[in-house]
Amino acid sequence: MRKSLYISGGAHALLILWVMLGNVFRASPPEVQMTEVSVISEEEFAALSSTESAPEAETEDPAPPAPEATQEVAEPAPPEPEPDPAPEPPAPEPEPAPEPVSPPDPVEPEAPPVPESPTDTPPVNAPDETARHVPRPAPRVAPEPVAPPEPDTTVAEETQQAATPEAESSDVAEEEQEATAPEEAATEIVTEAEEPASAPSAPSASVRPRTRPQQLASAEPEAEPAPEAEPAPAPEQSAPAETAPQPEPQSDESSDAVADAIAEALAGGGGSPDRDVPEGPPLTRGERDGLRVAVQRCWVVDVGSQAANVTVTVGMNMEADGTVVSSSIEMLGSEGGNASAAETAFQAARRAILRCQEGGYDLPADKYGQWQRIEMTFNPEEMRLR
Amino acid sequence: MTRRILASLLAALSIAMFPVAAAAQDDGPLRIEITEGVVEPLPFAVPEFVAEGAEAQQYAQQVSRLVAEDLTGTGLFREIPREAHISNITSFQSPVQFADWKAINAQALITGAVSYDGSRVVVKFRAWDVFAGTELGQGMQFAAAPDGWRRLAHKVADQVYSRLTGESGYFDSRVVFVSESGPKDERRKRLAIMDYDGANLQYLTDSSSIVLAPRFSPGGDRVLYTSYETGRPQIHVLDVGAVQSRVMQAGQGSMSFSPRFSPDGSKVVYSLTQGSNTDIYEMDIASGATRQLTMAPSIETAPSFSPDGSQIVFESDRSGQQQLYIMPASGGEATRISFGQGRYGTPVWSPRGDLIAFTKQNAGRFHIGVMRTDGSEERLLTASFLDEGPTWAPNGRVLMFARETQGAQGASSLYSVDISGRNLKRVRTPDGASDPSWGPLQ
Repeated sequence: MRKSLYISGGAHALLILWVMLGNVFRASPPEVQMTEVSVISEEEFAALSSTESAPEAETEDPAPPAPEATQEVAEPAPPEPEPDPAPEPPAPEPEPAPEPVSPPDPVEPEAPPVPESPTDTPPVNAPDETARHVPRPAPRVAPEPVAPPEPDTTVAEETQQAATPEAESSDVAEEEQEATAPEEAATEIVTEAEEPASAPSAPSASVRPRTRPQQLASAEPEAEPAPEAEPAPAPEQSAPAETAPQPEPQSDESSDAVADAIAEALAGGGGSPDRDVPEGPPLTRGERDGLRVAVQRCWVVDVGSQAANVTVTVGMNMEADGTVVSSSIEMLGSEGGNASAAETAFQAARRAILRCQEGGYDLPADKYGQWQRIEMTFNPEEMRLR
Repeated sequence: MTRRILASLLAALSIAMFPVAAAAQDDGPLRIEITEGVVEPLPFAVPEFVAEGAEAQQYAQQVSRLVAEDLTGTGLFREIPREAHISNITSFQSPVQFADWKAINAQALITGAVSYDGSRVVVKFRAWDVFAGTELGQGMQFAAAPDGWRRLAHKVADQVYSRLTGESGYFDSRVVFVSESGPKDERRKRLAIMDYDGANLQYLTDSSSIVLAPRFSPGGDRVLYTSYETGRPQIHVLDVGAVQSRVMQAGQGSMSFSPRFSPDGSKVVYSLTQGSNTDIYEMDIASGATRQLTMAPSIETAPSFSPDGSQIVFESDRSGQQQLYIMPASGGEATRISFGQGRYGTPVWSPRGDLIAFTKQNAGRFHIGVMRTDGSEERLLTASFLDEGPTWAPNGRVLMFARETQGAQGASSLYSVDISGRNLKRVRTPDGASDPSWGPLQ
């Protein structure tokens, strides 16, 4: 009896293992999302939960218009920091001119008859405020949204990590790194035409003003709505932010554990220690994702260029300390676009690889044999349509 | 006992299965796919160009500054302020200390030198990929008379832009437009031409008659425009160099307007109104022979050639509402390409050939947008009380258009926007401005 029980148990265990391993190998796509979330949760969770209330407010616009009107008034402070980073990309030039372009928005009430009605002045304000609702297009578009920095913080010359570029400039780098915040980033390009997406609702906003003046009058001194509004979005965002990372670490752990277990099993069974390079077990998913995330943070894509139609594959040799042998970086192939676009795409990829390595990529030294040679494919397809 | 058996079974299984897994990962180099990047201006540094001689000092300053402004103005690049520079470039030939530029995160570096011999200014430059530690392309030099220093700077900026993006630039180009002054009900209009950035403005006509819709020839030497000199709209051709114009005899006793050159400059397509019907015609410039391309009882106007000259996009209200259509350049059956809500007009084919820019009016607002040539992937780039008349930069990357503000005091001015919808900014003009037409690279 027991024998058959053992056999049955063993067979079931085999079946379960088979299913698990099968899934593990197929489930490579989800990796992408996992690491992204883990990155957010570590450093930017706090910033996200405090500042992303703005986008939330938008979506709520249609429903509770009145309270939000007051909320906006109470919040003009947060939107203000935005103008700071905005002029940055154009440098300290007199470029801010492009920003004033938005003034035509107030003109938007091309439905003048409505304003003429009793609420003449409020409607003029209404478009202004709806415009503020809409998250202003940050100059930087990145996979992970970064809220605008607080007024006090200085935004780094470039993304935070670049603060420690080379050992030589450690003095400068340290100063910058301590005092800077990540540059504001959005996940999508928002054109001027998309900004007033809520514009059609402008007429409905113009109705609001009737109640607004009263609320403004009462709200300004009390400033109650502000606290109300903030808590609301905060939990919403913190919740998903918390829940999101949770499931992923789990899956990460499980998959990593399986991969590690297998790797260890093999190592125990005797690998191929013939070479002097430590071959080690294959890189875990987490380790590979760490490398991928590190590079993609420095990969600048010009979405409007012909190079954005090109997928390039770049090969490189690595030193044991995680640095790239820069002379070994080569284009192995490209797809889409002409030769000039491919060359530009390759240059952008090479810059990303070299710029983000800092003191060397964080790769396990005991598995050097596994990553001594790396081939990276840079595929901008998903970026192109943003 | 049971546990041991199970453990050994599991161990055997994992070892037995490993070769499959290992083969999947162990085969060849480590492969990583990157699908997410960032969209942000690329940081570059332009230290002041080295002045070779005291007389060249002023030009060195001006040229290097304008190169930086050109690049920054695209929205694709961000200049690292000179105060942050660690290295000084004191000689055009001296080696570049890449570490110093890496430290301030300059990804591209432009170095140059300027000399002046009393009659000519010579500018030479080099562009560097800082992180790769290599030169981008080869050094080049340009020379011009002293009053042409802006063009020298634009030329350098075009070269740098080209090396960094892989596409041609648009800085050394001009724009012809209608300059407007006076109140809305008594507006004076005259043709004007300027550099792409608003510098070197010149007027081509006086304000004695109303002028509309100037269009550059592919070579940039002629301009077509519509004038009310005779009381009714007629197409004129103006020689930019000689500043002389003549009437183009488009048809007897009719109104002709909305002209545009073919890509080879040999033909002109335009609209002709006879009675209450407007159709599109083509005229051979050399022979003066005309041919009717559309024959519909509706209004067909605003024709624009594809860059290869094989097709024409135009607007028509044949469906009951103003929409965009494409037909063969020789005429024939037209295919509607715009199907969104609202009215579409003033289509212009991109020099790259991949997009068509248009003006869209919907829900009381005007937009400048782009769509694929089959009408797909429509994207609206701007929104305002009145945006109209897009024109493409010579490299098909930027659109310029006219924006008018509301009210009796409303004025029209020129704006430009990147085709990604970013970097919307006003173009500097002394007075009001409308109807821009961007010329070719000089």
